[in-house]
Amino acid sequence: MIRDLVLILSARAKMFLAAVKSLSAIRAVSFVFVIACFVLGAYYIFIRVFGYLMNVEVIGPGLLDRLIEMALFVFFIMLLFSNVITSFSTFYNSRELDFLFSLPVPPTSIYLAKLLENCLYASWATLTIAFPLIIAYGVKTGAPPVYYPLSIVSIIIYMVIPAAIASALIAILIRILPRLGPREVIMISLALILGLTYLYVKVNNPGLLKIFETENEQSLLLFAAQLTTVGGVYIPSTWLSNILRGFKGAASSATFNFLLLFFVTLSTLLISFIIAKVCYVRSWLSTGEHSNKKVRRKSFLYHPQRNAAKTILFKDLLIFVREPTQWVQLSVFLILLVVYIFSLRRTPIYFFFPLWRTIVAFANFAYISFVLATLGVRFIFPTVSLERAGIWFIGSSPLSFRKVLLVKYIFNLITAVIIMEVLLLSANLFIKVGRGVYLLMPVIGLFVAASLVSINLGLGSRFPHFNEDNPSRIAAGSGGIIAALMSIAYVGASIVILAAPAYNYLSHKFMDMPVNHLLVYAGFTLFVLFSTFTIVMPLRIGIRSLERRDF
Amino acid sequence: MNRLVIKNLRKKFNNVWALESLNLELNQGEIFVLLGPNGAGKTTTLKLIAGLLRPTEGEITIEGIDLSEDPIKAKSFIGYVPDEPFIYNKLTGREFINFVAGIYNVRNPDYETRLAELMDILDIGPWIDELSESYSHGMKQRVIMCQLLMHNPDLVLIDEPLVGLDPKTSKTVREIFVKLKDEGKTLFISTHTLSFAREIATKIGIINRGELKFIGDMEELSRISGKKDIEDIYLKLSDDNGIVQR
Repeated sequence: MIRDLVLILSARAKMFLAAVKSLSAIRAVSFVFVIACFVLGAYYIFIRVFGYLMNVEVIGPGLLDRLIEMALFVFFIMLLFSNVITSFSTFYNSRELDFLFSLPVPPTSIYLAKLLENCLYASWATLTIAFPLIIAYGVKTGAPPVYYPLSIVSIIIYMVIPAAIASALIAILIRILPRLGPREVIMISLALILGLTYLYVKVNNPGLLKIFETENEQSLLLFAAQLTTVGGVYIPSTWLSNILRGFKGAASSATFNFLLLFFVTLSTLLISFIIAKVCYVRSWLSTGEHSNKKVRRKSFLYHPQRNAAKTILFKDLLIFVREPTQWVQLSVFLILLVVYIFSLRRTPIYFFFPLWRTIVAFANFAYISFVLATLGVRFIFPTVSLERAGIWFIGSSPLSFRKVLLVKYIFNLITAVIIMEVLLLSANLFIKVGRGVYLLMPVIGLFVAASLVSINLGLGSRFPHFNEDNPSRIAAGSGGIIAALMSIAYVGASIVILAAPAYNYLSHKFMDMPVNHLLVYAGFTLFVLFSTFTIVMPLRIGIRSLERRDF
Repeated sequence: MNRLVIKNLRKKFNNVWALESLNLELNQGEIFVLLGPNGAGKTTTLKLIAGLLRPTEGEITIEGIDLSEDPIKAKSFIGYVPDEPFIYNKLTGREFINFVAGIYNVRNPDYETRLAELMDILDIGPWIDELSESYSHGMKQRVIMCQLLMHNPDLVLIDEPLVGLDPKTSKTVREIFVKLKDEGKTLFISTHTLSFAREIATKIGIINRGELKFIGDMEELSRISGKKDIEDIYLKLSDDNGIVQR
């Protein structure tokens, strides 16, 4: 079995190396540069935040530890989510599975190879944020040199648990409910994870789900100091957090928690392996036997449309609606955002001071922009790649790539603007910001949405991945990473540009400082110019790249 | 006016010439069959004419329109079928056919009647409303043929049309090609199926290592090669030392 596993993995490794070798020097350098900028940027922000917290008297170090524990818990839930979403396509819907299962190879070898593949695909994004986090924590807490290798090994081990749980959950669900389609399996799994997480948090620490309201600074500090997070002896994030914290005190605590994490990961892996041995082949076979062969009588394209743009739009809509991994992920994103927005209705009373409300509104704007950047990478970047071999049809048809991209741009822009504006307007309504901010933010939001759609669509056309049919994987490729980091860089730069006029506005409104008209106009003009550039350039690059491409 | 004119067409991939100075003229009502071993340059030639590859040198004119100067207008005369039939997995066969009709702006009042007729001829009716992810290679090929006939192009480019088709459908496809020729359409077909070439081609080309070794009809082929059987002719001419006659 090990020999077969090694063979499959070595074939994968060779494919990966060949893909890396085929990268042009410019693309490879820009990829490394963008990744390095992101990791260093994240590291810098963590160092600043942790440094600030360490200097807060009495509760600072405690809050920092809780922040880390909370972050690791959120990572764990995110990893569970992403592993569940990618598991179905990796273990049951991948084109190479027909070939692999026809080989004289034990199914458990295929399972282990796929588990590794799924774990890597679902975890890379979390790893890129987790590495700077744990290193910054080590630096700020003065951890000994052994902290760094041990914490990095620990976080890698930590990634395996959600991958194993997700694969086992999906295998069991398909085995006991073979008639369910992929969307139902994914939805049930996500609902199970959400339900169990909510129950655990509710039982373990009911106070965490309540908003604490007080105007008394002493009671706020007491609340923060006594606040236990979602951690508990049964949760891997607590063990990992104890490993990181262990180096500040007794090293034995770190060793004990490391061994605990290691053996639990091994046990989870063993259990998922046994489940795979019992039901992976049968589950895989049943997905083929009960494949969704529904007869579709009516749809947007049941009759031909008299307009090429409408035709492309309807085709894209139909494909999106029928691809469960797409809309399941979008639904999850949107539900979480709605929960977030409604949570703003319960803004604690110490934020009722107008200055704070305005600051919260700006922070909320930044947050929504970053969320939109993430949505863009996940849903807009893959749209051109998802044409796959159908690109031959577009390339040989009397339809210009300019027109195709413009149709996709307008459709994605409308969707992005709706999401952005609904979130901004409802959030600002709940926060009760002033009329000026309430009216100005949607205008800024329009520019942000238009730029983010252009960056992701343009780079998606510049770095297409026509051989991949899984949108999550397309977004996780090198082009997707470049688009993600460019989007984040755009949002970051916009916030920096708008910070000066925003600060001037706040100073004027709440501290009676004079308005610096030049600064305000220059700031907004620069933002508009910068956004116009990021709207036009990526699209032009994308169109040019497709027009000059050999298919 | 010639329907398709190719002059000194060359294509280089990574410093290797995949196609060497191809010259060709095709008129209305011709079926040109390009034969050649794997990697000879057949697909590259078809993709160049379909506008999916950019020529390194040379020019392609379709109905008098230079493909590089006005690609959109030139492509409006083309219907291209690749060797790997592709339909979007999450569309049904019917939706794909209608999608193509929408892109080519087909405004035929008898559209639905014509579609029903073709569905009957190609025997695709029973599963046309299922998602294409469940289709076999041959089923996809038949749907692709159907979309091609629905938008009814003047210049048909087909790469390996018979792969994956059952004998009955192969016969139907052959009959359809002859009918298209009789209607004045021009067909440019690449294939390995020699009997198919012998049956329907009005002109045959043999290509090897990116070089067109021969172009002419069956009689010329037999005369030059000194062999009667198309298989022997093909083997002789596609050989590296074969006769070069252009």
